[in-house]
Amino acid sequence: MEQLANDNMYVIDLGHIDSAAEIIFELSNMLDSENARNKKICLKLGNVDLNQAQLLSIKSLINGINSILSSVDTKSTETEKVALALGIIVSNVSAENSTENIPAMPYKSAEELKEQMEAENTEIHDVMQNSQENNHDENINNSDIENNRDLNSLPNIQENTDINEAVQNKSESFQTADNTAVEELTHNENEQKNELKDELDIIFGSNADKSSIFQMAIPEEMYESKEGITDIAVPEYEYTKEDIELESFPTKYIKQTIRSGQVISYEGNIVIIGDCHPGCEINAFGDITVWGILSGIAHAGSGGNQKARVRALKMNAIQLRIANCYSRRPDSLNTVYIEKTNSFTPEEARIVNNEIVVFKIND
Amino acid sequence: MAGRVIVITSGKGGVGKTTTSANIGTALAKSGHSVVLVDTDIGLRNLDLLLGLENRIVYTLVDVVEERCKLKQALVKDKKNPNLCLLAAAQTRDKSSVNAEQLKKITDKLKKEYDFILVDCPAGIEQGFQTAIAGASEAIVVTTPEMSAVRDADRIIGLLEAAEGIESYKLLINRVRPNMIKSNDMMSVEDVENILSCGKIGVIPEDTGIITSTNRGEPIVNNEKSLAGRAYLNVARRINGEDVPFLDIDEPKDIVGKLKKFLSGLKKQGKEQ
Repeated sequence: MEQLANDNMYVIDLGHIDSAAEIIFELSNMLDSENARNKKICLKLGNVDLNQAQLLSIKSLINGINSILSSVDTKSTETEKVALALGIIVSNVSAENSTENIPAMPYKSAEELKEQMEAENTEIHDVMQNSQENNHDENINNSDIENNRDLNSLPNIQENTDINEAVQNKSESFQTADNTAVEELTHNENEQKNELKDELDIIFGSNADKSSIFQMAIPEEMYESKEGITDIAVPEYEYTKEDIELESFPTKYIKQTIRSGQVISYEGNIVIIGDCHPGCEINAFGDITVWGILSGIAHAGSGGNQKARVRALKMNAIQLRIANCYSRRPDSLNTVYIEKTNSFTPEEARIVNNEIVVFKIND
Repeated sequence: MAGRVIVITSGKGGVGKTTTSANIGTALAKSGHSVVLVDTDIGLRNLDLLLGLENRIVYTLVDVVEERCKLKQALVKDKKNPNLCLLAAAQTRDKSSVNAEQLKKITDKLKKEYDFILVDCPAGIEQGFQTAIAGASEAIVVTTPEMSAVRDADRIIGLLEAAEGIESYKLLINRVRPNMIKSNDMMSVEDVENILSCGKIGVIPEDTGIITSTNRGEPIVNNEKSLAGRAYLNVARRINGEDVPFLDIDEPKDIVGKLKKFLSGLKKQGKEQ
């Protein structure tokens, strides 16, 4: 009894069973498995002669779990006839060769996958090693792949590296230009880290060379993008604990136009893909980002966070509030209608010296 | 002397309650009285737009009722006229946020410090209307010379008569078009008065300037040249107790008509002399 599966194909081998009743019994057991659902089933039968009624009942069994009996593999001419009469494809081959008949490839073995990945990443690997020869050992690479999973929390790079060191008992130091505040952060990700390690052990085998796997990530890019984001977001501040807390706020995505009278409140960041019409209210503990025209009232950092920002493609807000500061739109800007063009200059509002200032992103 | 609380209502929507509130309020403030405009159309507020105060609202009527701020904090001062204040409605709530007793409390408080409290009533005869009329002792019923608006005004007058607090009510006929009355396409002002058997306090002609003034956020009474603006100023004077003759809104647009009118005016003068 053998089951092979790929994306859409599910092979059930019942070649060793000799009676029709047993086949149906075995089959009904195997179809209980979750894997068999919504698949094309390829049924391999031995020398058993099935009549039309029996094959029909098998077919209806398979239909019952939303799958289709696509082909039957049999040695018996009787069964072959019946199957052809029912419109089922028959592949009449011996049991030894039968696996080759499966149209699509089943999934790759772990070894193959590893080889392929290594081949694909050699270049990146080389570039990375050149640039980091002096400062980084393989541990950093280990940490980078993890960060790749969690792009939102950039400051975690160091943190994770710390953990990684602890796990692997390697205490080689490395120096990066990052600030030290980040290092003091939470270390409770140890468990997660261990879990990840176990997972990888399972996938690639415990003897696999882990470092080569971890190098799939592109550490150079990681560091570059981090610097870039730092420049855009908080040019005049050093990262402090509060900033990191802000960064780690959850974010709510809303893909709709916010209309008059609607209130959106969230204890985190809000991202709105759409316009915010006059008369709406958006309250966020963190940042507010509007991918559209912001014409309502926006209150960022409503929990008191002075470093929260409001960003919009077009800033036309009736009122802007950040933490405990508040400002209103100048009366001269009291336009009834804002033309929707293809070229907005995105704007960002933040607190400078206890006043809300709106900056053009270009500035 | 305690201030007067006047509710501006209509029953039907779109006849000009809010425009009337903004203009009468501004006109009264211009004549030196202290005025508070209270918008009770919670969830569909517009009065702030007409006054151009939309960007200044921080606290609203609902915030006052729910005691998140003091009454004084919620009063928004007008840009031009320091005598005029607005108590805005909340846009993000609905009519059930304020009940009659709560509004009465607020108007009673305001009465002590201001000469006039104008309450802009929402359309309809449901809870919002009942809330708006709660604190008022006078009412202005806005209607247009259309059958549907007159019917609704009739219903409203019935409700006002049944209400306890309302001592007097007057009719304000809005969007009157003399040319259409002449050609018998529109009910005349007298017809409306007769149907409703109710005294009028003003007749406001249709004016395209209203639309521009609404969009700009500036009441039309600030424009002395506008006929509708002058009509609203007269309404304000009548509210004050002055006896002002009704404006001759019959202003023909074409040159021949204007000449005729001018000549007839000369004739009248000649007879008087």
